[in-house]
Amino acid sequence: MTNIIDPIAEIDESRVADQDVVIGKSRIIFRRFLRNRTAVAGLFIFVALFLFSVFGGFLTPWDKETIDPLNIGMPPSPDHLLGTTQAGIDLMALIVDGTRTSILIGLIVGGISVLISAVYGCTMAFFGGKVDATMLFILEALIMMPAILVVAVATSGSGGLKNLPSWLLLVVVLLFFSWMGTARLVRSLSMSLMQRDYVKAAKYMGVPSRRIVWRHLVPNIGSLLVLDFTRGITGAILAEVAFSFIGIGIKLPDVSLGVLIGQATGQVSSFPWMFWVPLIVMFFLTGSLAMMNDGLRDAFDPSSSSIGRAKNKTAKVTTK
Amino acid sequence: MLKYLLKRSGIYLIMIFLTTSAGYFLAVSSLKPAVLEQEKIPRPTPEQVAASFRGLGLDPEKNAWERYVEWLGGIVTRWDWGRSPNGAYVNAEFADRVLVSTRLFIASIILTLIIGVALGVYSAARQYKFQDRVITSYSYLVHILPAPIAYFLVQLGAISINEAVGERLFFVTGISTPGIDPGWPAFVDLVAHYAVPTFAMTIFGWAGYQIAQRQYLLDNVNADFVRTARAKGLTRNQAIRKHALRVSFIPVAQSIAFTIPAIFTGGFFAEAIFAWPGIGLWSIQSIGLQDVNVATATLAYGSVIFAIGAILADFATTLVDPRVRVQ
Amino acid sequence: MSTNTTPAERLRDAGLYAPGDAVLSVRDLNVRFNSENGVVHAVRGVDFDLMPGKTLGIVGESGSGKSVTSMAIMGLLPETADISGSVRFKGKELLGLSDKAMCKHRGSDIAMVFQDPLSSLTPVYTVGNQIIEALTVHNPTMSKQAKEARAVDLLRMVGIPSPKDRLKAFPHEFSGGMRQRVMIAIAIANDPRVLIADEPTTALDVTIQAQVLEVLHTAQEETGAAVVMITHDLGVVAGMADDIMVMYAGKPVETGTVEDIYYNPRMPYTLGLLGAVPRVDTATKQSLVPIEGTPPNLALPVTGCSFAARCPMVSDACLHGEPELISVPGSETGTLDHKAACIKSGELSGNADAHRIFHAPPKPVSKFDGVARTERDKVLELKDVKKHFPLLKGALIKRRIGTVKAVDGLSFDIREGECVSIVGESGCGKTTTLLEIMEFHPDQVGEVVIGGVSNKVATDHKTKMAMRKEMQMVFQDPTGALDPRFTVYEVLAEPLENLGMPKAAIKKRIMELMQLVGLQPDHVNRFPNQFSGGQRQRIGIARALAVNPKLVVLDEPVSALDVSVQAGVINLLDKLRAELGLSYLMVAHDLSVVRHISDRVAVMYLGKIVETGNVDDVFDNPRHPYTRALLSAIPVPDPNLERTRERIILQGDLPSPLDAPKGCNFATRCPVFAALPAAKQEKCLTLEPPLTSEAEGGQDFACFFPDGELDAEMLVVHA
Repeated sequence: MTNIIDPIAEIDESRVADQDVVIGKSRIIFRRFLRNRTAVAGLFIFVALFLFSVFGGFLTPWDKETIDPLNIGMPPSPDHLLGTTQAGIDLMALIVDGTRTSILIGLIVGGISVLISAVYGCTMAFFGGKVDATMLFILEALIMMPAILVVAVATSGSGGLKNLPSWLLLVVVLLFFSWMGTARLVRSLSMSLMQRDYVKAAKYMGVPSRRIVWRHLVPNIGSLLVLDFTRGITGAILAEVAFSFIGIGIKLPDVSLGVLIGQATGQVSSFPWMFWVPLIVMFFLTGSLAMMNDGLRDAFDPSSSSIGRAKNKTAKVTTK
Repeated sequence: MLKYLLKRSGIYLIMIFLTTSAGYFLAVSSLKPAVLEQEKIPRPTPEQVAASFRGLGLDPEKNAWERYVEWLGGIVTRWDWGRSPNGAYVNAEFADRVLVSTRLFIASIILTLIIGVALGVYSAARQYKFQDRVITSYSYLVHILPAPIAYFLVQLGAISINEAVGERLFFVTGISTPGIDPGWPAFVDLVAHYAVPTFAMTIFGWAGYQIAQRQYLLDNVNADFVRTARAKGLTRNQAIRKHALRVSFIPVAQSIAFTIPAIFTGGFFAEAIFAWPGIGLWSIQSIGLQDVNVATATLAYGSVIFAIGAILADFATTLVDPRVRVQ
Repeated sequence: MSTNTTPAERLRDAGLYAPGDAVLSVRDLNVRFNSENGVVHAVRGVDFDLMPGKTLGIVGESGSGKSVTSMAIMGLLPETADISGSVRFKGKELLGLSDKAMCKHRGSDIAMVFQDPLSSLTPVYTVGNQIIEALTVHNPTMSKQAKEARAVDLLRMVGIPSPKDRLKAFPHEFSGGMRQRVMIAIAIANDPRVLIADEPTTALDVTIQAQVLEVLHTAQEETGAAVVMITHDLGVVAGMADDIMVMYAGKPVETGTVEDIYYNPRMPYTLGLLGAVPRVDTATKQSLVPIEGTPPNLALPVTGCSFAARCPMVSDACLHGEPELISVPGSETGTLDHKAACIKSGELSGNADAHRIFHAPPKPVSKFDGVARTERDKVLELKDVKKHFPLLKGALIKRRIGTVKAVDGLSFDIREGECVSIVGESGCGKTTTLLEIMEFHPDQVGEVVIGGVSNKVATDHKTKMAMRKEMQMVFQDPTGALDPRFTVYEVLAEPLENLGMPKAAIKKRIMELMQLVGLQPDHVNRFPNQFSGGQRQRIGIARALAVNPKLVVLDEPVSALDVSVQAGVINLLDKLRAELGLSYLMVAHDLSVVRHISDRVAVMYLGKIVETGNVDDVFDNPRHPYTRALLSAIPVPDPNLERTRERIILQGDLPSPLDAPKGCNFATRCPVFAALPAAKQEKCLTLEPPLTSEAEGGQDFACFFPDGELDAEMLVVHA
């Protein structure tokens, strides 16, 4: 119920719309990003977690299938750095696996949905008229569908979709419902860009449409897409955790952070580490992405630095 | 205005029809109640299963299209949304479920809106000061915490309070204690059941409104018309309170109008975690029970509520913004 | 402003000499802002006294500190600004008052009208509410009825028709000019002693500007307030102001009476500014005075004269120590001493020739100048071009309630080497005309012929490309016209790459172009935001010229630029036309610029040409009443002329297309029509006047009663 409108995304929309997307070169953005300490910290944490999810397997001799009959439901110990489950499986091995699944879902959903929304949004803006109206209708109908029900149907059903591994199924369904908001943003931004004089100038020079889109439109919505990419990753990771937590997302034998957290809820008091460790990992993961998103937004938007806006404006006028 | 509303409603009706139909086909092709029947003891023969389902209008031998036509015919001619595999009528249970959801959500949604907007204004007035940083950081933190986990953490907290006190102050699940005496004890029982879910949904719900209201207000604080108001002789704070706040409320009013109908749809996560048998929980459970008709009905209901929200949002805009007022 | 006394001492001294009866005395006002680039010293020592009922004009370009000065007086600058000096209202110090204490004065003693009327009113309250608010703040005991009656009076005073009903209207239901009237009504609601108007007419059309200036004039007469008029337009203040203060780089550089400033400028900057403005009332074909360079960065300390870097008279002495604002010898008349901040002000006495001093280039001569117009080729021809839009109403429900005839049967042509301008108020269809020409599509209504190729036959890509090569466009906003992600090189290379030119040739051509438009060739790797507005416009011009077009379409090419920069760009356009044999089609709202640069002019009103011909014929002897009104609305930078000149003030705004009469479009606002007897009015209302000429070779106009007598109510003379 609460995920119908994302106020933060809406604010971004209004900002993007009324503000010049004046950005120098990627170098300048990169430098600005590096100046933002929080963002750099976020990047570090994310890279560290990524490396952990890929190479973490070497930190423990156990894997997620082997049961250690000597250590069943044991708290963290030198043998099992993060303890074991009540079935005697090494938690570290599970976490490595779960983090990898979560990051994978995040990257795939975030990346592909940005691509879909860019193509869909640009197409709407570029053709306009009937094409735009029809595509907008489809888009709004999709927004109307309660995504979670479809996720539940698709992942719980016993129909033909059952042949896919559950994480891939979740990816497909999340993808299906994750691109609409951005597509609408891309559409309105592209439409306003098409009205810019430099796009008109190119048109009047006889530059082919394809080239105008490629050279003028795409770079100018780039910042929006990069921001949306990080936000999409966060959204997908959170959605996976939420769905798996109430038991409709990822199904065993696949392991994800959401599955681990969800499984542990029954025995929080007796096996607290089983609940808290994956939860903290998830927090670091989404937190690092949020920190990066924040830094990226600042880097892309010169006016949003924490020096008061009024001051900047007046200063600009006086130095002109 | 009426004409406009009719036109919008018409478009939404088409959309609802399409989404519901798509949902039905998805459900029919992936939900197979017969599988669950196989687990019953004594195990019924496939013929028995088929016969009982045929009676319920859930004939597994018909193809998706035939069942769709039959189902749609029932709705159009008799407003009959079909039956569950256990024989229950969808229509019969629907109202109860909606009522439960409404009871669970009404208090928290209203609190969420009021607190969110108030905190948004408060933090905008103290931009970059300590209070603003705390409030806004909290809101961003909530954004990276999935709702069910947040609710679960509140439940854990309530349980530990109960344990610390040594008696059951709060109920962390359920609507009411069965067989409670009416009058005062019933009221105490009600509050004890309401407290935890309402608290959880409120403190994790206002973040969005806080951030939005704060940003919209800040966007208007240095607007030209605020300067005009100050030039008339209003102090900065008066000018902001009277002029900027009113203008910044336009987009917020829109999203509030959008949210209000959600009171009646409930939520999947809250109902699942706090075990309130409302619409949200019903829809999730129905999928577990391979119940095609309930799943589709709740999906349709969600779409209808969304459409009402969207129309209300338009309506709210025309109320608060004279620029789009229609004569 | 001497540098070896403390501010306190200077204040005391200044106070001694401050005339006792001034309503507003400003002494040594300094404003500093923090910015990312360091502390910007935006206002550096402003002094003035404002006498009751008098008008002071503060003239300066963007960044000169004129607006910051006014905001500092009003106490409206952000708290982070560092303000020092003294601002006294009737002897009472205002600087340093708390926001609350200042509120007693704001809106009652000192009121202000801001630049942008569209955003200056709160959109969600009725205008009545907003006027009454101003009354309530300062008169808490006033009854509701009294306030309402006063609000109606105020609206009537500023010339809003049926004021009682309009009280309940929202700002968006008013046009820009009407909103500015409401702003003035709010400002004078409490009979302020001082009224500050910050560029009150900059965002408005000339006809509306004339109306609003008239309202300001009335407001001043009614309230007896002293007015501070802040503007960049030397014409606007010429007729209104008693005294003028010219600001440059945060500092007054010359002060005096209007006569002193306009007829005897003693500071090279003032001299240059006056020479940089083209005149609408004279036909002199002379280049404008260009002021090269840009104002100094106020984040850096000023060591010498701040104008030195742009001054043609600069010498070593100018670079050591900033010159003080001192009295010019032999001119102690008027309310204000004539003062100038220039060590060479003595050299400028008498009739200094700005053109000679600033090395204005000679008027370029084109190879086509000697050829008769009829013997030159047509580069562009329009035949009965029409563009109609459906008019939709309602924000949510869009229903069609009529047709906007944005362009309604336009025919004209442009010959080699000439500049044709289209003028008119915003909404008259001049920009739509340009877009129609640039679109060049076979489905258009009417025929557009460019370089002999008609839009009706140009269906294939190849002919279209050939046409695109013939015609290029320069846009109004130089910032929006350049992709911020492209370097200048990339901007200029785009049209050339599009033609498939080899890389080496492109590079050579770009270097040529940079030189042609007066930019340094080694700046090609910079981004547009590293250039000033004037330089960006030069880049835009260079891009248009890259493919060697015959015709350049100019959409308000200088309206976004400061006066001193504008002159340079106009001179450049003149030079390019002569050297390259270009033709221009220009759209502009500034008729002075049009007169200066064009050979022919077409006056548009509601989608139709109402008068067209040689620019000097039309401007010196306008026949259509609309042309007459338009020309009379333009203020001229000549105080004596401004004060005696009779001007036509048109009533109301451009009518909505729905109200357009069957006959002559202009009848609803026409000053001639209003004076006609009813029998003759009938003709205007039923028949559409054709666009014809009276005499051979004269201009064409569409009016049944040219040179008709004007309605007395629409005529105004300020004695």
